Amino acid sequence: MSPPLIEVRGLQKSYNGSMVLNGVSFTIMEGETLGLFGISGSGKTTLGRCMVLLDRPEQGEILYQRRDLLKMNSKEFSRLRPSLQMIFQHPESSLNPRIKVFQSIAEPLQIHQNLSMSELHYEVAKLVEHVGLKAEHLERYPNQLSGGEIQRAILARIISLKPTFIVADEPTSMLDASVQAQILRLMMKLQERIKVAYLFISHDLDVLRAVSDRIAYIDNGSITSIEKNDEKKSWIS
Amino acid sequence: MKMINPSRWQLLWFGRICRIPYQKVLENKIVSICLILLGIVLLLAILAPMIAPYDPNAIDLKNSLHPPSTAYPLGTDHLGRDVLSRLLYGATTSFVIAISVVGLSLVLGLLLGGAAGYYGGWLDETISRLMDLFLSFPGIIFALAIVGALGSGVLNLIIALSLVNWASYARLMRGQVLSTKNNDYISSARVIGASDRRILCRHILPNSLAPVVVLATMDIGHVILAAAALSFLGLGIPPSIPEWGSMLNAGKEFMRTAPYLTIFPGIAITFTVILFSLLGDGFRDILDPNKEETGLAIA
Amino acid sequence: MPLLEVEKLEVCFSTKLGGVKAVNGVSFGIEEGETFGLIGESGSGKSVIGMSILRLLPKNTHMSGSILFQESDLLKMSDRELQDIRGKKISLIPQNPTASLNPLLKNGEQISEIFERQENGNVKPWKAAIDMMESLLIKNPELSAKSYPHQLSGGMKQRLVAGIALSLRPKLVVADEPTKGLDSVSRERTIDFFKHLNEGSERSMLLITHDLDLAYNICDRIAVLYAGEILEMGTAKEILDSPKHPYTRGLVHSLPKNGLVPLEGSSPSLLNLPEGCFFHERCSYQGFECVKVHPDLKVRGGRLARCLRL
Repeated sequence: MSPPLIEVRGLQKSYNGSMVLNGVSFTIMEGETLGLFGISGSGKTTLGRCMVLLDRPEQGEILYQRRDLLKMNSKEFSRLRPSLQMIFQHPESSLNPRIKVFQSIAEPLQIHQNLSMSELHYEVAKLVEHVGLKAEHLERYPNQLSGGEIQRAILARIISLKPTFIVADEPTSMLDASVQAQILRLMMKLQERIKVAYLFISHDLDVLRAVSDRIAYIDNGSITSIEKNDEKKSWIS
Repeated sequence: MKMINPSRWQLLWFGRICRIPYQKVLENKIVSICLILLGIVLLLAILAPMIAPYDPNAIDLKNSLHPPSTAYPLGTDHLGRDVLSRLLYGATTSFVIAISVVGLSLVLGLLLGGAAGYYGGWLDETISRLMDLFLSFPGIIFALAIVGALGSGVLNLIIALSLVNWASYARLMRGQVLSTKNNDYISSARVIGASDRRILCRHILPNSLAPVVVLATMDIGHVILAAAALSFLGLGIPPSIPEWGSMLNAGKEFMRTAPYLTIFPGIAITFTVILFSLLGDGFRDILDPNKEETGLAIA
Repeated sequence: MPLLEVEKLEVCFSTKLGGVKAVNGVSFGIEEGETFGLIGESGSGKSVIGMSILRLLPKNTHMSGSILFQESDLLKMSDRELQDIRGKKISLIPQNPTASLNPLLKNGEQISEIFERQENGNVKPWKAAIDMMESLLIKNPELSAKSYPHQLSGGMKQRLVAGIALSLRPKLVVADEPTKGLDSVSRERTIDFFKHLNEGSERSMLLITHDLDLAYNICDRIAVLYAGEILEMGTAKEILDSPKHPYTRGLVHSLPKNGLVPLEGSSPSLLNLPEGCFFHERCSYQGFECVKVHPDLKVRGGRLARCLRL
């Protein structure tokens, strides 16, 4: 049994006096999709944000490859940052509306690597191919793309960092049914290709049954159960 | 309708700071006209030394209080100085003051308001209380008090008006930053590892600037008016330096015998203030990201 | 005689980039007491049709065709005539309940103010409001009436908004995407609520939605929209249990519980609609004629559908 990629122990967090996370614990294996089902207000979004340290829990541990993220200094953590990524729920506010899609996708590469302009263009072109966008989409602004196209651009942006773990916070709940199917397929294919683990947060149990290896149920800040899911759809390449 | 084609590098340079829809600027007729008129006024101000027919400070008591004529198109004042020349040089003074004040207020406002909004905590508390303090004083009276304390002069006038002004910019900027901060793309930038500096400069600033730009544009007119008011009251600019407000001040004694001494500077001030107001209005419409094509937004 | 009869409706928005044909010759009718669903994804034109019926589109929209309500053409009515109709004979349950409620008015007032504006002396507005809230299964109606919208849950807010829409007993209610963005528990409750609303009611409802479950559960008949046209129309259960048009089939199968089979490609730009069938570029049954001939809506294989391959 290989060690888990991520181990969460006893996370607690409160907002304005009320407990949002109440002793949450679970593990995620490499390349696994853990579904997280909860209704609004169950704490699922806060949990997702804590996993990538956008929010800090008050108590608990988040072990990534056996090291506690919450106890690292900022230098250590910034080296790990590229591995832990997040996709958000609302496509329309997920990209800076004032810069072109090309620049949004290129940004992670610009931050972490020192590439020349032509190298950057080449890398971005490759990324874009993986997610099913075309060159013309790169020259547009976010408000000129559809919801599905934006999610594809965001996936391109994230996978440039070669993450090992992605928190997907309701990535398809704002999309039309047919587009949702396309994006879910894309996410699963990416998972096959780069062996990334997903924490897939959703309020749609049907979606979770189609994509998850295991499904965790969260209610009022606590995980009530984690079950193995046998209905995961296989995407034959 | 004249077609204006800004040169390519001008577009690239400015366009990099915030995505300015040049298309929309050129299509909005009011803004285009205002920009042209503004350009003319600025040109006149800059070229004043070359086109003014007389030295604005040349005193010629023999020709005092001449009504408008061929020799003196706008007449002369009580010291025989040519009104037209004083008006042209006065334009320079007024613009220098206005742009300095707005520039200083903008810089202070962006820095302090931006820091307060982004970092929050005690920094926000401190700066907000400071803003509250400065905003609680009624504008002109505050400016009067400062000028009274510092003494008159162009620099002191600029300082006084900037101190009165900066808090409005800071408050607006802080509000903008607070709302921009909540967007997912800011969280996204943090998760991919962007530094605070990068997030502020590349993501927060360009998305917060629009209303501040509109405020600055309309404010230039207000500052010209405020400077004129202070000069009218005898504070601010020494009377020898030509400035529209001080011209009004000097001319008020001769309202019955030589009304043109107040009419022409009055028109100049009114015209310029209206121009900037319209421009600010127009910019607000252009920079509003919510103005989508109606049909596509609904479908 | 149908309560509402839409005849060859066309809606075009003129934009800088050209004319956007949002609705392209749509015809359908709604009988009294019937719940009719307009099913479609973004850009299909379903919301535009709903807005056209309520005449809530911007003034520069170009509309042609007719919308007959109780035999008068809504498209030809003056603003004053429309005032008499909106809210009283045709009303709207809008998409986002939170945004549609006045945060400064008590919940009871949101409904009672409508009664106050009517010249009916017999009706006591506050009591009528509480009665309405009770009939909508809002918990603790007396208490809720005295509190404010922000104190209600999402589901309760939706019922309140429905109450406002139904207070003057309109003959036709347009419900705009009632389940958009809701989690699965709230969606179930909303479906139950709408079932309760329409049970034994003589009121007709036009449901605009992309939620196939909702449509299956509460609609009598539906029309599937794509790129501004109706592709398939018939009873809800028939169409969703055995869809005939390739698009409808693709849509049904793309649901997670039906296999999550994606429909390739994306809907065409309304500025630049393709020749022939609007769906042919994405269709796995595409034939030679489909590229050139634009099919019309007629009965094919027992179903009213717009496809040459049926």
